[in-house]
Amino acid sequence: MAAQANTVENKKGFLQWARSRKGQQVIIIVAFMIIPLALLFTFTYLPFGEMVGYSFYKMKYVGKRTFVGWKNYASVFSRKDCFGALKLSLYYMGGSIVQLALALYLATILSFKVKGGNIFKGFMFFPYLINGIAIGFIFKFFYTRGFVFDTVLQWCGFQLDNLPYWLRDQRINNISLVGTSVWRYFGQNMVLFIGAIMSVDSELYEAAMLDGANRFAQFRYIILPSIKTIVTLNVILSITGSLSAFEPPYVITSGANGTGTYFVVMNEIAHTQQKVGLASAMAVVLLLIIFAATILQKLFFKYVFRNAEDEDFGASARREKKLARYAARKAGR
Amino acid sequence: MKLRKVLALTLALSMTFSLAACGGSDEGAAEAPAADAGETAAPADEAEAPAADAGEEAPAAAASDLTYASIKLGEDYKDLTTTIKFIHHKTDREEDGTMADLIAKFNEVYPNITVETEGVTDYQEDSLLRLSSGDWGDIMFIPAVDAADLPTYFLPYGTVDEMSEYVNFADQWKDAAGNCYGIGYMGNAQGILYNKKVFADAGVTELPKTPDEFIAALQAIKDNTDAIPLYTNYAAGWTMGGQWDAYLGAITTGDETWLNQKFVHTAEPFKDNGDGTGAYALYKILYDAVEKGLIEEDYTTTDWEGCKPMINNGEIGTMVLGSWAIAQMKAAGDHPDDIGYMPFPITVNGQQYATAGPDYCYGINVNASDDNKAAAMVFVKWMVEESGWCDLEGGYPISKTAPTSFVFDGVTVVNNLTSLPGEEDLMNEMNAESELSFNAGGDAKIQAIVEAAFTGTQTYDEIMADWTTAWNAAQDSLGIEVKY
Repeated sequence: MAAQANTVENKKGFLQWARSRKGQQVIIIVAFMIIPLALLFTFTYLPFGEMVGYSFYKMKYVGKRTFVGWKNYASVFSRKDCFGALKLSLYYMGGSIVQLALALYLATILSFKVKGGNIFKGFMFFPYLINGIAIGFIFKFFYTRGFVFDTVLQWCGFQLDNLPYWLRDQRINNISLVGTSVWRYFGQNMVLFIGAIMSVDSELYEAAMLDGANRFAQFRYIILPSIKTIVTLNVILSITGSLSAFEPPYVITSGANGTGTYFVVMNEIAHTQQKVGLASAMAVVLLLIIFAATILQKLFFKYVFRNAEDEDFGASARREKKLARYAARKAGR
Repeated sequence: MKLRKVLALTLALSMTFSLAACGGSDEGAAEAPAADAGETAAPADEAEAPAADAGEEAPAAAASDLTYASIKLGEDYKDLTTTIKFIHHKTDREEDGTMADLIAKFNEVYPNITVETEGVTDYQEDSLLRLSSGDWGDIMFIPAVDAADLPTYFLPYGTVDEMSEYVNFADQWKDAAGNCYGIGYMGNAQGILYNKKVFADAGVTELPKTPDEFIAALQAIKDNTDAIPLYTNYAAGWTMGGQWDAYLGAITTGDETWLNQKFVHTAEPFKDNGDGTGAYALYKILYDAVEKGLIEEDYTTTDWEGCKPMINNGEIGTMVLGSWAIAQMKAAGDHPDDIGYMPFPITVNGQQYATAGPDYCYGINVNASDDNKAAAMVFVKWMVEESGWCDLEGGYPISKTAPTSFVFDGVTVVNNLTSLPGEEDLMNEMNAESELSFNAGGDAKIQAIVEAAFTGTQTYDEIMADWTTAWNAAQDSLGIEVKY
């Protein structure tokens, strides 16, 4: 009897709580969150968990699987075609630095008054809208001996005999491929930068000009600090993007001739060789590397932008001095 | 006030109408699929009914003596008047009028048999659907059905033994009783595609029969003409592994059991036999050609579509492709007669080998009326023996009597035998474990041969040693017994 009364009371308590403002809040939050969270779980975390599980097995897509423990991870690090492929990411990282510098430079120019600025923006953003596979095919012909690129260079006075084979020569073919990805993405970076620069209060420029600051000083002391968030974001995206570069090598060279990036190798191992366990282990390792790279970058930017909004000129002067000393030391070495 | 009332009324009316419209379209939408379902359901029922009958009818058909062998073209069934329907996958031939020409020629002999044709895109899938629906016509190219289902759908042409007197590959579609249900429209063989004019210009009069002779011929092409001796099609990928691996087995060893039965049990499948045979000799041709500069200038930018007019116009000497490619190369320019096909230049004990098999095969609807069955049989026999279609496509001959331009002089045509019972999966597992993927998308390993030969980073023997190591490691890890 007492127990019954208790449950009745509990029920009442719950109903009351559900009707209360706090209860309503919680119910609404849960009701709104449950669908996206369920989707996120089903289509992202669950498959990922499965994949982590796979990485401990020797298995194909069909057929029986055998548990092999950490063996797949050991071979990721010991096989020269797996971990070694990450070396190619250095090319793509180098490319992404060029890409960001170019994007920042053009964004700064275009955010001041330029004739036909919108047309330039449009032209430079356009490559980003093209399908990556199509870009691959475009550049395959672009780099073919005696085709577009060679012809243009010949107009500029180069002799065909002195030009390298852009995709055959293993010393430069990765640079050629990186070129395509720079071409594709710098426009998008630029548009993001322009968007951020737009939000800078134009009165700041006027004030700076009255103080006698030139364009470069304006960029350095007004624009760059104001858009540091977006710069950080772009750098992180580019670096993680270069670790997982896939489309240019896959479409243009099909990963042959020393252009197989980590992703291309992973694809080959998973689909042609059907070593699903090993490929899953590669994916997990790549994820950890990307985590590490992102955290390191966060720390790096925290350090770089540490004094960005500092009003204390003494501090910035000290930092200048420190940097100068560092540079001198480096030059002296 | 009045205005407002009118407005409200109009609004209400328009809403009702739009609602009605919605309802209407909903109904329409709901009705349409229902009607469809009804339509599709009906033939399905029909299909089942005859299918059930088929079992009983099939012996009756055999009893009626309608066999491929018994028909005398141009004499029998001249007075038969009927309309038959033929569905096929050659949409290109349907569009360019070749099919209509063939049928016009057929009607010169059999004016009373009307043949309707339909080219089906995505034939692999659609043909199966149509076959199961039952209402597809009288002749079709047999899609992927189980051998056990053949008598349910198709009419036998006769026994395989009987048919083998008339056509090649009669055993492609046979049931347990040894009846033949399909005759290929053309055959495919494995050899090398070459340009006859380039060979003549280079002064190569005898077709090369050994790897050394082949390399010498390529060298002659390089020295005496402007053509590319061997176009690798490196960049396309599938043209590397997909094509080169196809010569493993009987062509390179003369042994029909090698590829599917011995290969996985062989300790050193890639060792140098010293006499220009075996897998070693096969891939060495590629390595040597690259090393001696007998391929295109820039292999990384080869273009599959672009190579067709090039070989047609004599800018390419040879390409390593199956005979299916002949028709495409002939169609790509103004010199179709220059395209030739030769056996693979490996000679085992004085004998050159080629593997061959049929393309799609004609099958006749077992549920058609007797008149249509007879007409269809006549048409198939005419297509195989008189039409010259197979030759037009550059195919390996199907009919044993029809004239053919496919010359494979002094070559023994063999077939790689299938795996031993219980060992069907071994090759796949070895392919995956060794990562060499023979005949299974292993393009990267062939591309690596080209790269190594060009850059000189690895000698051919080193590559083969690597392959052997990988092969042996895979045998170890899978516990496969090494017998050879």
